[in-house]
Amino acid sequence: MLSKVPTRLILLVLVLIAAPILRAQFQDPTPDELKMTADPKAPGAAAVFLNFEEDTDDPLHYHSVYARIKVLTEKGKDLATVNVPYFRSSDQITDIKARTIHADGTVIPLAGKPDDLLVAKSGNIQFDRKVFNLPSVEVGSILEYRYQLRYDDNHFSSPLWDIQHEYFVHKARYVFTPFKAFQPGNQVLSNTFLIDEHGDAINTLIWWQRLPPGNEVKKEAPGRFTLTLTDVPPAPNEEWMPPRQSVLYHVNFYYKSANGSADFWASEAKLWSKDVDHFVEPTKTLREVVNGIVTPSDSDLDKAKKIYKAVQALDNTDFSRQKGKTELKQLGLKAAKRADDTWTQKSGSRQDIALLYIAMARAAGLTAYDMKVVDRNAGIFDPGYLSFNQLDDDIVIVLIGGKEIVLDPGEKMCPFQTVNWRHSGAGGVRQSTEGRSVGTSPFQSYTSNTMTRLGDLTLDDHGSVTGSFRVAMSGQEALRWRQEAVRNDLDEVKKSFDRWLQSTIPDGVEAHVDHFVGLDDPDANLIAFVKADGVLGTATSKRLMLPGYFFETRSRVPFVNEEKRLEPIDMHYPEQITDQITLHLPSGMAVEGAPETVRIPWADNAALVTKTVVNPNQIVTARQYSRAFTLLKSDEYENLRDFYKKIAATEQQQLVLTSATAAKGN
Amino acid sequence: MPILAIAASHKGRPTEGGCPMNFGWSSFGAPLRLRWAISVLLCLFGTCAVTVSVPLAWAKDKPQPAPDWAVEAAKTPTPANIKDASAVILFDEFLLTVDDQNHAVERERFAVRILKPQGRSYSHCEIGYDIDEKLNYFRSWTFNPDGRQLQAMESDFIDHGAYAAPVLQFTEHIRKVSPPASDPGAVVVCETEEHLRPYMNEEEWQIQAPVPIVSEAFELALPPGGHYADSWGKFAAVKPIEVGSNHLRWEIKDMPALDLENIHATPPWGALAARMSIKWGDDAVKGADNQWRAIGLWQSHLEEHRPDPTPEITAKAQELVAGAPDLYTKLSRITEYIQKNIRYFVVERGIGGWQAHFAADIYRERYGDCKDKATLLISMLQSVGIRAYYLHVDSRRGIIDPLNPSLAGNHMITAIELPDNESDPRLIARVKAVNRKTLLIFDPTDEETPVGLIRAQLQGAWANISNGSDSQVIEMPVLPPESSGLARKGVFQLTADGALDGQIAEIFTGASAARERGFIKETDERELRESLEKGLGADVPGLIFKDFKFRETAALDRPLDLDLHFASAGYAHASGPLLLLRPRILGSLAQEFPDIMERKARDYPIEIGEPGRWQDSFDIDLPAGYTVDETPDPVNIDLDFASYHSTVTAKANQLHYERDYIVRQVEIPAAQVDDFRKLESTILTDERSTAVLKKQ
Repeated sequence: MLSKVPTRLILLVLVLIAAPILRAQFQDPTPDELKMTADPKAPGAAAVFLNFEEDTDDPLHYHSVYARIKVLTEKGKDLATVNVPYFRSSDQITDIKARTIHADGTVIPLAGKPDDLLVAKSGNIQFDRKVFNLPSVEVGSILEYRYQLRYDDNHFSSPLWDIQHEYFVHKARYVFTPFKAFQPGNQVLSNTFLIDEHGDAINTLIWWQRLPPGNEVKKEAPGRFTLTLTDVPPAPNEEWMPPRQSVLYHVNFYYKSANGSADFWASEAKLWSKDVDHFVEPTKTLREVVNGIVTPSDSDLDKAKKIYKAVQALDNTDFSRQKGKTELKQLGLKAAKRADDTWTQKSGSRQDIALLYIAMARAAGLTAYDMKVVDRNAGIFDPGYLSFNQLDDDIVIVLIGGKEIVLDPGEKMCPFQTVNWRHSGAGGVRQSTEGRSVGTSPFQSYTSNTMTRLGDLTLDDHGSVTGSFRVAMSGQEALRWRQEAVRNDLDEVKKSFDRWLQSTIPDGVEAHVDHFVGLDDPDANLIAFVKADGVLGTATSKRLMLPGYFFETRSRVPFVNEEKRLEPIDMHYPEQITDQITLHLPSGMAVEGAPETVRIPWADNAALVTKTVVNPNQIVTARQYSRAFTLLKSDEYENLRDFYKKIAATEQQQLVLTSATAAKGN
Repeated sequence: MPILAIAASHKGRPTEGGCPMNFGWSSFGAPLRLRWAISVLLCLFGTCAVTVSVPLAWAKDKPQPAPDWAVEAAKTPTPANIKDASAVILFDEFLLTVDDQNHAVERERFAVRILKPQGRSYSHCEIGYDIDEKLNYFRSWTFNPDGRQLQAMESDFIDHGAYAAPVLQFTEHIRKVSPPASDPGAVVVCETEEHLRPYMNEEEWQIQAPVPIVSEAFELALPPGGHYADSWGKFAAVKPIEVGSNHLRWEIKDMPALDLENIHATPPWGALAARMSIKWGDDAVKGADNQWRAIGLWQSHLEEHRPDPTPEITAKAQELVAGAPDLYTKLSRITEYIQKNIRYFVVERGIGGWQAHFAADIYRERYGDCKDKATLLISMLQSVGIRAYYLHVDSRRGIIDPLNPSLAGNHMITAIELPDNESDPRLIARVKAVNRKTLLIFDPTDEETPVGLIRAQLQGAWANISNGSDSQVIEMPVLPPESSGLARKGVFQLTADGALDGQIAEIFTGASAARERGFIKETDERELRESLEKGLGADVPGLIFKDFKFRETAALDRPLDLDLHFASAGYAHASGPLLLLRPRILGSLAQEFPDIMERKARDYPIEIGEPGRWQDSFDIDLPAGYTVDETPDPVNIDLDFASYHSTVTAKANQLHYERDYIVRQVEIPAAQVDDFRKLESTILTDERSTAVLKKQ
């Protein structure tokens, strides 16, 4: 419903400029470049960019790209295929020039015609890509190409420079010549020429940079912006890192009707909040509905809960199926323009339902605010990125007894006062008693996301086990399976759950969920009842050897193998996992060795506690893993790794059983 | 070509880095496409450049009522015996109309009832069209459970490119509908009509789907005097009904689903599913052998003169073989040249999906797809007096069915004619053709497998050779176990605190070496190290990865060596006075097939892997003060398709682990499932077994 800011703005006055004279100009390789077989600055790299240049000339309506790549291994030859995506509806890719230079200096120019391939087309909007392939590529070749993306005279476009690539860059140069109105001496004209999507005059050029230390965008006298870098590292790729796009070096330029980041967000938040307030304004119908749901004697908290339950029961089309224009029209429905519409149609998107909740809460006399946040699985809120489009989802803040509680009504099956982890610790803009502001939603507590696995298994003389266990979940794990059950039938959920179970239990043992309890009740713990059997132990002539712990022994413990860390750690949400397995032993078997009771604390961050109790004919092993942190800086990696190394060592302990007579030394 | 297919599947798409591609229900994890073979070939061979003109055949303004056939189809009750299917196809009918030029127009009418939320994907009909096809119309309606009709309008359709991988791309487009109100209980109907490629005289009718089909039919309307040939795969031939003059109709009722979800180690879905191939025009000859010959002739004609060598090609080939002492050397020099110098890349454009470029162009540009590489190889061999032929295969064993002649297949390789007396033991992958010639099978697109061998996916599969009137279908050989494998030797030092330090020397041969070389090629040094570290880390807790070195990475005909050096801070675990360690320190040969291990009934053959021999030999120096208290019992299992032997012995202060695993087949019948289970559980148990050391 609420419209998002278009990425391309409209130039209201045509600016006639002579067509640029653009010629492919390549540079001669140096003898060192030709004979290079490896790059000490990028050890083991498959290829390196010798040069990468991007030039945006908005007055002349083009972006140009120039690259010179040294291929160092077979894998590096993949860079010979160049894909250039573009909007066919409005842009053109022109002036493609390319050549391959062999290590002996032989030059092979691109002769074939680039292919124009459809990516997607709907109505009049078509997205294509130009594909060309450099000829005769060998390990040792230098690939050199350039092309232009040209857009029509009725548009202007400021660049977003992605500084980091998959491969190391030796020399990079970026140039931006802004639209004439933003060049020195011409700004006075800008109000005449340009307006933004809100109809406001564009009067500023803003840029935001995230760059390696010691580098910055330079503003040159003729109104050009330049950035020259050397030795740009490749884009990082580490497990449990924040969304990749959010940590890469980049520079974003904007034509805006704002004087900076704070001004932009204040202005955008004001417009957004106005739209929200209009959408959620309680109507007479909605007040009547709310009066049927809550009673005057209900506490504010009860009112909030009852309304939450009512909107959660609606068809959430982000979890069932989005209805297209055709369907709405033919069924006499309409896209929600007011919160009323969502209620009347008993159906809406996650955003519609979140806003409906605000409307109904306000109708019930509660103070409720919208907060629009970035989906933390996709990105991190960046106030310097001046685009409202980075904000994905709506969560709701309600004042109860003077305290704020955070709700996620648009997230199907999410319990009251719980949010999907993607919306926790997530930045965005929010409404409040003071107006609008940029903010961050609260992080979760590890006690909110728990999993408890309790089992009872019987072992025979040969190492086989039969038995059952149950898995009780709250918070994020429960939400995950409940949402899967919304999208699939029960059989499919069971299959999926079985596959997950299998990854958590030892090789040789099979486990199948028998039934769930609480799958359709988000306010209860979700419990899976599981039957298990298979071969757990291996036997020698005197002994049976078994994994010390039943769960997680085959899971890979993270971070243990990676010595160094560049990026922060993002483990999505904190959690606590508690396991306890009672293993009934075959008669005549005694415990010769068992996992030790262990306590591995990591102050304020995490802990692992294990305990083993040996009783006659049975052994009970328990393990509790608690992780309180969600995000960590990379400089805490050493402690983090040390903690997980200790966990890995603990989980490898074994249980040794021996025949009672053997244990006595016979 | 095309067809109304449904949702994700449609045309087969290549796997990254090669012509071989995945397609069919199982590979796409979804739905439905009731015919596929010809479209698959499109990705290999191809067509002329004709501008596509796609009329706006969907409803643009006002919804129209659904046609009578759709209304009737939607009334079909859901059969009671369909178990837990997520959708049921109520009706699927094709009408193929051939004109006197042998050009065909195909109409498909399709109706599906959604039974479960996850069954929605079966209602997303889609159809592919390329530059030499014309889509006449594509319409769709939904019938709500209450009988209300909704028609899909323009905004419900989207076109997207049939993008496969950076190195293999297509000009083909796919149009797909997101039907309105496609909820459980609803029936979605789709109707398409399309002019097929003018140069194709064959179509595949995919009779089976991952969900049940209540009623399906294929109609063929031929011009006066026109004739046809049909052949059936995994299904008994059905007799057609003559519904008009030279107008035939095949009907099938109540086709059960072929659902392979949670069934492991099966042949590809497409190799098990029922299908029918129909041919018309000159290629419509009777009898399987004749049909294969006709296909080979068609292919031979299509590629005629493509491999003709130019002076440059001849000069290069002669330069390569100069001084070669024997045929093997000649072959390996030329094949390696193509493997290493012709980069895999192509944009398949119309008939370019079927027809190779000229050898001269391929040689000049140094890139091409599988049939281009085959063409240049044939050309270079020809220029030094060696005959070779196109060999049409599929990268998934079983898709090409000798009893069901068709163009189904996704890859082009070569068959090299060997002299009658050629007996070089390195030229292993050979077969005898009907004309008594000995043919060496070789895949020039496979950049890591040396001449003389073929990778496991091709072994035991069928292929169609294009050799004029000597064209035929042949079975590619299953290579002996000695042709591939890994010999691993390790020397370790264990300390009393459980720490382990080890040096490993691995020697890969044959397909195993090819796989490693492929991985080395696809990764940079950091990725390679991380991958090795991850693999070792799965076996060795507390891994400290110190060093690795590959040797002989470039010489395809030599074994590949890998040296590893690592340590572990806590490999062995103390338990009271005991020190426990797993003698099988690294490397796992056990395969995890839960359905097989749980003794579920097995109906399909079991793909057991690849022929080869894997050997481990580890010496573990024990810490002072410890003696070996117990070792696992020896393991010996001998079956006709595989054997596994393992021993752990103690000698002075050393523990020695030795195992030998041999696989002789690529696939075994379902009846041997018990043997296979026994083998796998034996390996699994052996791999987990523990030796017990005791402090003196």
